[in-house]
Amino acid sequence: MSDAVIENGKTQTNQALESRKSSQKKIFLLVLLAVLLLFPLTQFVVGGMNYWLHMLLFTFMYIAMASSWNIIGGYAGYTSLGHNVFFAIGGYFTGVLLVYFKISPFLTAPIAGIIALLVGLVVGLISLRTKGSAFIISTIALMMLVKISFDNWDYIGGTNGMSTPLLMLPVEVVKFPFYYYLLAIAIAAVYLSYRVRHSKFGLGLRAISQDETKAEVAGIPTNWYKILAFALSGLFVGVAGGLWGYYLTYLRPNIFLTVLIAAQMVLMSVLGGKGTVAGPIVGAILFIAIDEFFVANLGFTMLNIAATGLLLALVLLFFPRGIVGTLKERGKLPVFLDWD
Amino acid sequence: MTILEIDNISAGYGSGPNILKGLSLKVEQGKTYCVIGPNGAGKSTLLRAICGLLHPRSGRVTYKGEDISKSRTDEILMKGISFVPQDRSLFPDMTVKENLRMGGYILKDRKELDQRIEKVLTMFPILAERSSQHSKTLSGGEQQMLAIGRTLVLQPEIIMLDEPSLGLAPKITQQIFEMVSFLKESGMTVILVEQNARKGLEYSDWGCVLDLGTNRFEGPADTILNDPRIQELYLGKRRNNGQEGAE
Amino acid sequence: MTQTLQVLLFGVALGGVYALMASGLTLVFGVMRIVNISHSALMIFAAYIAFFAFQNYSLDPILSIFITMPVMFLMGVAIYKIFFSSIKSTERTGELTVLLTFSLALVLEGVMGYLWTNVYRSANPSYATEAIFFGPFFLPKGQFYATVLSVAIIILLWLFLKYSRIGYAIRATMQNQAAAQVVGVNVERMAMISFGIGIALAGASGSLMSYLFTFYPGKHWEWIAILLSLIVLGGMGSLAGALVGAFLLAIASALVGYHFGPTWSPITFFLALFLILLVRPQGLLGKKMEA
Repeated sequence: MSDAVIENGKTQTNQALESRKSSQKKIFLLVLLAVLLLFPLTQFVVGGMNYWLHMLLFTFMYIAMASSWNIIGGYAGYTSLGHNVFFAIGGYFTGVLLVYFKISPFLTAPIAGIIALLVGLVVGLISLRTKGSAFIISTIALMMLVKISFDNWDYIGGTNGMSTPLLMLPVEVVKFPFYYYLLAIAIAAVYLSYRVRHSKFGLGLRAISQDETKAEVAGIPTNWYKILAFALSGLFVGVAGGLWGYYLTYLRPNIFLTVLIAAQMVLMSVLGGKGTVAGPIVGAILFIAIDEFFVANLGFTMLNIAATGLLLALVLLFFPRGIVGTLKERGKLPVFLDWD
Repeated sequence: MTILEIDNISAGYGSGPNILKGLSLKVEQGKTYCVIGPNGAGKSTLLRAICGLLHPRSGRVTYKGEDISKSRTDEILMKGISFVPQDRSLFPDMTVKENLRMGGYILKDRKELDQRIEKVLTMFPILAERSSQHSKTLSGGEQQMLAIGRTLVLQPEIIMLDEPSLGLAPKITQQIFEMVSFLKESGMTVILVEQNARKGLEYSDWGCVLDLGTNRFEGPADTILNDPRIQELYLGKRRNNGQEGAE
Repeated sequence: MTQTLQVLLFGVALGGVYALMASGLTLVFGVMRIVNISHSALMIFAAYIAFFAFQNYSLDPILSIFITMPVMFLMGVAIYKIFFSSIKSTERTGELTVLLTFSLALVLEGVMGYLWTNVYRSANPSYATEAIFFGPFFLPKGQFYATVLSVAIIILLWLFLKYSRIGYAIRATMQNQAAAQVVGVNVERMAMISFGIGIALAGASGSLMSYLFTFYPGKHWEWIAILLSLIVLGGMGSLAGALVGAFLLAIASALVGYHFGPTWSPITFFLALFLILLVRPQGLLGKKMEA
């Protein structure tokens, strides 16, 4: 239902209810933001919080990536299985500038995002001429193309990759800049997702995801919309990648260009509810929690891969609308998750 | 003698609404039935429900006294009911002969199958001429002939045709209806769904008007053909003094 | 000149093996419109079976085909039953099956990696290192056997599809599923059998792969991209297309490897895949795969 229809159908009591809900949501956001901003300070109070800082900033990054993937995969309905390409491009871009030109990724990461956006535009122009499973396969082809090219490119270290210098800060605060930066990125990515969802553009994307031919016939410039969605979906993934290499202190094709990261982006969005604003966020948090549980208890990355696959299959077969989607369908969606 | 009885059936596709809503029809052996009606009335659905591509949600389909409502298509084929769907449904990259072979797919006896294929080719010399051509290279009329020939491999008792003249030129349409006559003369029971209602009724014994999922009118074909109400609703303009009205 | 011909010979020999690998994938697509992303992971699984049979029981990898094919056939049937028989055919089926087979591939990779680690493996029967000479040209013996065997299996497959009753039913289902139903074909059962056959072909490929290439669980992504490029070029759903695509790209990649270095030869496939999807998604001989 479009917002216009809802607007016209409101009665006075409904309006009062709506505004109460919306202030509830605003309060929720403000409280959440305050908690997240202040959290690192517990390092000075309690100490030894580096593990939690890591988990949180890791979560912020995945929230940003899942929300971004959702723009093309959820809103437009075009599943991209090669999205880690943007991640790699971002990472290597800032990495090269750091290693060869000593410029800090904190400065270059946004540019890495723009580069990812531009790459998305160019690639989108080509590969969005295909639809359905053909498109999905083309994203895999793209990813393999980039992987082989990076593997063979000596300037960036080929298969061995490059190591990046460590950020010189005391160990208690070394994670702080990454924490806040990634928090900012997460907020920006979610905000982008929200704005897209509530725009004419977003409406057009949803039409495309339901029936592209009808959307075209209705006058929606489907080609441009798809390409724009694809490009936007790469933006913050690129920025995140730009920081991640710095955080890890090394860049390697088989870290950045494994399908696992692409698979995780898909899984998080689908699990949480693709096509919704809150879905990818819920999915990211849940996924990381489950992931930690597996790693902590089982400690083998290979089972990690198997578990990701299994989880994805189960969600696809039994739970295709994801958590947020299913709750919404049943009318049980809590207010703080209702952002669509 | 009633060979097929459709008793108050309701049916629909997937989890969708009922297309057939309490439809009943008695089919007598050796007669030709023409089912007409507007689009969406359920004509194709009826045929699919009879031959097992669709199972009725309520009611019964009985063939020679046996309840076939829940039977599988191959079982129903084996018992003697054949179906030619709309758009013929041929196998485009198979030859005429291979298509005929597929017609007899449920026959396990290879020799018997070969004999029957030969018989059909004798019946339709044009098909014999083209027997090693891929079916997609045949003309529209020839394809329809092949589709009918394919059902004859099983020597059915009842043959059901879903809009056999669809998309064919008038001259070919005439040939198709002559084939229907031929089937009739061979003693088969024919159930015909036709958009070309006038022509269909001309070649049939009994007419049945479907609308909104039920059997609205039925009666001898020429009665239906000449009934002014039906003419107006389903056949186009009224006839005036024997002049043909616009279709 | 001799060098080029030699390279061409390698390409042709490899083409035969690639064709066998691709045949299973394209058969499954042709019958059910399923793009099975896990095909190569299943191939690698079979390769492990062959490898361990060789290592622990000295079973010749080529002979292991008699084990891998039936085992993988059953596995294929099981996979079909678990994943695909419950899915209703809607417009989004194409995408859904891609994602499902994608997740299956992940599961296989993870399990194999857990059981057998990421160590590079390769069986080395004696013929893997010997060569046969044809005048000034040579071919590794193992490669030669593999090519002959691949072509033989493909011919058997073709004969089966063309002349057996089930073969007829499968072809009918591929060409017109609705019509097949009308003549009494149990389409569900044909789909299941075809899937089984497709994976059995992956099994045979895996046996050959065990000594022809080095393999490890993670390699399946590269392989699936390669196989997809072959069948997309040749035309999804067409066996003849798989042959054509396999030979064309095998030769092309051999030439690329010769001129630019072996690490670049895989790029031929991915570039080709990308380009064909744009220019002519149905390939040379096949059907459209859009959902």
